[in-house]
Amino acid sequence: MNLNKLFVLSRSVNLGRNLFAGRVAQKGDCLPRFQSRRSIRSSARSLVYAKDLFLGKVNKAEVFPYPEISNEELEEINQLVQPVEKFFSEDVDSKKIDHEAVIPPETLNGLKELGLFGIQIPEEYGGLGLSNTMYARLGEITSLDGAIAVTLAAHQAIGLKGILIAGNDAQKAKYLPKLATGEHIAAFCLTEPGSGSDAASIQTRATLTEDGKHFLLNGTKFWISNGGWADIMTVFARTEVVDKDGQKKDKITAFIVERAFGGVTSGKPEDKLGIRGSNTCEITFEETKVPIENVIGEVGGGFKVAMNILNNGRFSMGSAGAGMIKKLIAWTSEYACTRKQFNRSLSEFGMIQDKFATMALNAFVMESMAYLTSGMMDRPGVPDCSLEAAMVKVFSSEGSWVCVSEALQVLGGLGFTKNYPYERYLRDCRILQIFEGTNEILRMYIALTGMQYAGKILTGKIKEMKKGNVGVVFEILGKKLKESVVKTVDFGLTGKDGVVHPSLTESAKMFEQNAAHFGSTVEGLLYRYGKTIVEEQLVLKKVADVLINLYAMTAVLSRTSRSISIGLRNHDHEVLLTNTFCKDAHFKNNFLLTQLQKNSPENNDANIKKIAQEVLAKREYICSHPLDRTF
Amino acid sequence: MNAPRQLLRIQCIGCVARFLGTPVQRVVLAGVAHVQTPRSQHSYGQLLRPFHCSAVCFTNRQSQTELEKTAEDETLKKDKSLVTHDDLFERAARDSKTKADFNRVVDVFSKKDIRRRGHVEFIYAALKKMPEFGVERDITVYNKLLDVFPKEVFVPRNFIQRMFNHYPRQQECGVQLLEQMENYGIMPNVETKVLLAQIFGEKSHPMRKYQRIMYWFPKFKHANPFPVPHVLPSDPIELARFSLTRIADDLDGKITIYQYPSTDITEAGEEVTSPHIVGIQSPNQRSLLAKHNPCKPVFVEGPFPLWLRKTCVHYYLLRADPIPPEEKVEEEFDPEMIGPEQSLFYPQRVELDLERDMGDDFKFDVDDVEEGPVYAMCMAGQGDQATLSQWISGLQETCPILGQIPTVFRLESGPRELQTSSDAQQTPEQEVETDHIIEEEPLHSQRVNQ
Repeated sequence: MNLNKLFVLSRSVNLGRNLFAGRVAQKGDCLPRFQSRRSIRSSARSLVYAKDLFLGKVNKAEVFPYPEISNEELEEINQLVQPVEKFFSEDVDSKKIDHEAVIPPETLNGLKELGLFGIQIPEEYGGLGLSNTMYARLGEITSLDGAIAVTLAAHQAIGLKGILIAGNDAQKAKYLPKLATGEHIAAFCLTEPGSGSDAASIQTRATLTEDGKHFLLNGTKFWISNGGWADIMTVFARTEVVDKDGQKKDKITAFIVERAFGGVTSGKPEDKLGIRGSNTCEITFEETKVPIENVIGEVGGGFKVAMNILNNGRFSMGSAGAGMIKKLIAWTSEYACTRKQFNRSLSEFGMIQDKFATMALNAFVMESMAYLTSGMMDRPGVPDCSLEAAMVKVFSSEGSWVCVSEALQVLGGLGFTKNYPYERYLRDCRILQIFEGTNEILRMYIALTGMQYAGKILTGKIKEMKKGNVGVVFEILGKKLKESVVKTVDFGLTGKDGVVHPSLTESAKMFEQNAAHFGSTVEGLLYRYGKTIVEEQLVLKKVADVLINLYAMTAVLSRTSRSISIGLRNHDHEVLLTNTFCKDAHFKNNFLLTQLQKNSPENNDANIKKIAQEVLAKREYICSHPLDRTF
Repeated sequence: MNAPRQLLRIQCIGCVARFLGTPVQRVVLAGVAHVQTPRSQHSYGQLLRPFHCSAVCFTNRQSQTELEKTAEDETLKKDKSLVTHDDLFERAARDSKTKADFNRVVDVFSKKDIRRRGHVEFIYAALKKMPEFGVERDITVYNKLLDVFPKEVFVPRNFIQRMFNHYPRQQECGVQLLEQMENYGIMPNVETKVLLAQIFGEKSHPMRKYQRIMYWFPKFKHANPFPVPHVLPSDPIELARFSLTRIADDLDGKITIYQYPSTDITEAGEEVTSPHIVGIQSPNQRSLLAKHNPCKPVFVEGPFPLWLRKTCVHYYLLRADPIPPEEKVEEEFDPEMIGPEQSLFYPQRVELDLERDMGDDFKFDVDDVEEGPVYAMCMAGQGDQATLSQWISGLQETCPILGQIPTVFRLESGPRELQTSSDAQQTPEQEVETDHIIEEEPLHSQRVNQ
C-alpha cells in the first residue's frame, strides 16, 4: 500500500513538471540546462511508459497529450526544411550515388553547407543545436537517399554522439566545432569480426603506457560506416580496470581516436546490397597512441556509453521511414491513377487500394511513434526512452520493408527495373532491420528489459502465490473473477476526464483491454518461467510484438486526439487510420496473447523449434524429394 | 514394360472369369492349352516357352542360344542317372562361382525336362547355394529361380481349390524363396509379382507373402538413420574416413590424413612400410585441447572396434581424464554486457529470484556422468606406438600445446581375436603385431560405447 502511495505521489509531482514542460517547451534559455542535465545515468525519472505496460499499468501522463513544439521552433524547422528539401530534390542524384557507390564531393559539400553534419551539436560549438524532434523532422528528408541518410546518421547519431552526451567540456570544445561543420567526419567503432552478438568477444585492447599518459590501441573493427573517410572515431576497447575487490578485470572503455594519431588503417569499402553510396569498411588499429584525455566518460564505463548512444539514436528511423513512404505514396499513386487496365485505372482495383491503405497506415503509425518518442526524449529530465526507441526502430524497419515492397508491386514489372527508384529503395531499406542492433536482438531487449522491470516488482507476489499463500491466491482469484464479470477495463483514457477524444473511444477501449490482458499475461509468464524466460525466445518475441503494437496504438491514439482537439487539417482521415490500425492491432494482440497462454492450441512454438532443430542437425533440407520412391 | 502389361492381362482374365463363373474360365484356359498343344508336339522344348516362361525372361533368351546348346549337350551326356541338384551346382562351381555360372545351372535345369520334374528340390538347393555364388542380393536371380516353377499349373481353378491349400509344397517353396529375399533385404519387383501371379494365382500364399513384404519393406527402408553401404570402400583411407565421420557425429569434424600408406625400400634393402594414419578432430575438440591443463597427461587409447556390417575396423582415441570439480574455472562475464539492460548484444540474463514453475519444467531428471573429454580420433594401418606418435605429432601442428602435455599410450591387443570373425574385407590393421604394446598404467576398462 505504501509503495502505491509513493507511486501516486511521484506521479503527481512528475505530472506537474510535465505539464509545465509541455507549455514552456524548450526555448533557447531552457536548452543549456537541458544539455547540462544530460548525464550517462539512465532511469533517473521514475515515470516510464513502456515498462509500466508490463505491469498492466498505463501511464497516460507520459504519452498524453501528444508532445508539441513551440511556434518558434516550428518556424525554425520549417525554414530549415525547405532548403534541405530543395537540395535533395535538385542536387542529389541518388541513382548515380547508388551506381557508382560513392557520394560525390559536391553533394557532401552541399550537405555541409546546410549544416546537416551538426544537427544536434549545440550552437555554441557551431552546430544547429536542434532537439530530437527537429532532428527527426530533418531525418524525413534525408531518408530520400539511403546512402546519405546512413552517412549522416553514422556521423552524428552514433559517431559523435559519444562526445556530445558523455564527453567533457574540453573534448567538446576540441572536437565538436570541426565535426559540426563537416570538416571532420565521425565514425562509431564497436562491432568486431568475432563479436556479432557476443559481447564478451570484443578483442580490441587498449593498454596504458608506462608513463600513464597514453593508451595503446590494438585491434580490428568491422562494418564501420564512414570508416573510410572518418577523421574522428569513437572506439570501444577492452582495458584493464582494478575493481573494488582489488581484482583486475577487463572492462570496455570508449575513446576518441583521431586518424591523425597514426596506426589507423581502413580496408577496402564493402560492396553492399543497398546504401551503396555509404562507406563501410574495416578499420585496423595498430599501436595507436591515444592520450588519456580522450577517454569518453570514465575508464571502464564504455559499455554504458555505447548503450546510451545506441538506445537514443534509434527513434529517428521512424520518421525516416515515414518520410520515405510518404514520397513513395506520392509517386506510386500518380502511376496508379493514370495507368489504365481493362478500361479502369489501377486505383479502382481493390487490391491496389489495399496497398495504398497499408502504406498510409504504416507511414502514419511510424510517424506517430517517432514523434511521440522524440517528444518524450526532449522533455526535461533524463528520460528512459530506450525501450520506446527500440520499438520505433523495430516497427518502422519492418514496416518500411513491407511498404517499399508494396509500392514496387503497384508498378509490377516496371518497379523491378532500374528505370524506377523502387528497387533501390527496397535494397536500401533492407539494412534497417539489421544495423543498430538487429530486430531480433532488439525484440529480446524490449521483452527482457520489461520482464526484468516487472519481475522486480512482482517477484514477492509470485513467490507468495507459489508458496500457496491463501490470502494472495484469493486476492488474485477475486481480481480475475471481477475482471471476468466486469468486462470493461478502465484506465481512464476515455470518459469524463479522459485524455482520448470521444470519437476514438472504441479504439481506446481496445487498447485498454489489450493493455490489461498484457499485464496479466506478463505476470503469468513470470510465474511460469521465472528467470529462465531468457531461454524462451519465441515467447519473448511475442511479448515484444504485443508491446510494440500497444505502443503504436498509444501513439496513434494520442496523436489523433490532439489533431481532432486542435482541428488539424484532415483529422477525420487520421481518425479513420487510427481506428483501422487499432482494430487490426487489437486482434493481432489478442491472437498473440492467446498464444502466450499455457497449453494454448494456437501456439506452434514447440513444433517450430523441432522443425528447426531437425533441419539444423543435418544442416540441410531433410525431406526426400516428392518424386523419390522406395520400390 | 512387358511385365506390368502381363499382370494386367492376368487380372483381366481373372475379371472375366469372375463374371462368367468358373466353368467358363476352365474353358478359356483349356482353349489356350488346346491351341498350344499341337505346336508343342511339333518342336519339343522351344515353343512351349511362352506358356511356361514369363514374357520378360523370354526376351532375355535370344542371346543365350549358345549357352543353351552346351546345356543340352550336358543333359544328353548325363545318362539319366540320378543326380541331386546340389551336385549340379557343385559341378558348375568347380572352376568359378559367378552369377553367370549360377544362371547357367538354372537354365540347364529348366531345359532338361519340360515337366520340370523336381523343381521344388532344385529351388531349395539353389536357394542354399546362392550365397556361395554371391548372388544372394540379386533380384534378377531370384526372379529367374521363380521362373523355374511351371506357370498356371498351381493356380487354383475353383473355390474348393482356393479354399484349401492348393499344391502346398510348391507354395511353401515359393514362400521360402520370398523369405530368403526378405532376409537379405531384397525388395521384390513387379516382375516377381507377375511371376507369382502366373505361378500361384492372385490369392495364393506366396502372393500374400509378397504383399506383406511390399507393405513393410518400403516402410523400413529408411528406418536406419545411419545406413552402412553394402559395399564398403576398399581403400583403407576411404574406409577410415567413412568410419571416423560415422563415429564422430559432428558435421564440423575435419578429417586429416596424416600419412598415406606407402612401401619404400631402403638402401639396405629392407622393406619399410608406412601405414596410413587418418584422424578426425572438430574445432570444438581443438579448442578444448588448447585449454587442457599441461600438467595433466592425455591418453592415447585403443584399439576400439567398430563394426561396419561384416567388417571390423579399429580406432584410437586421444582423451583425458575428467577435470575434477575443484579445478573447473567458470568463465565470468561482465554482468553489464550480458544483462537485460543492454541492447546491442543479446541479453542473456535477467536478475530475478524466480525459478521455472514446476508445471512448465519438462526436463527429465537425468543423472549426468562426468566423462573426460575426447580430443581426437584416428585410424591407422598399424596400432603400434610409433605409428600413433606420428599421429600425435601431426596433431601438434594445429594444437602446439600438445607438445607440452605428457602423452601416455595405453594400447590393448585388440584386433587379434576379432580377426577370425571378420571376413576377407579387412583393413591392414589386422596384421598389427601385438608385441609393441606399451602399458604404462593398468588398462582402463572405460570403452567408448558405440
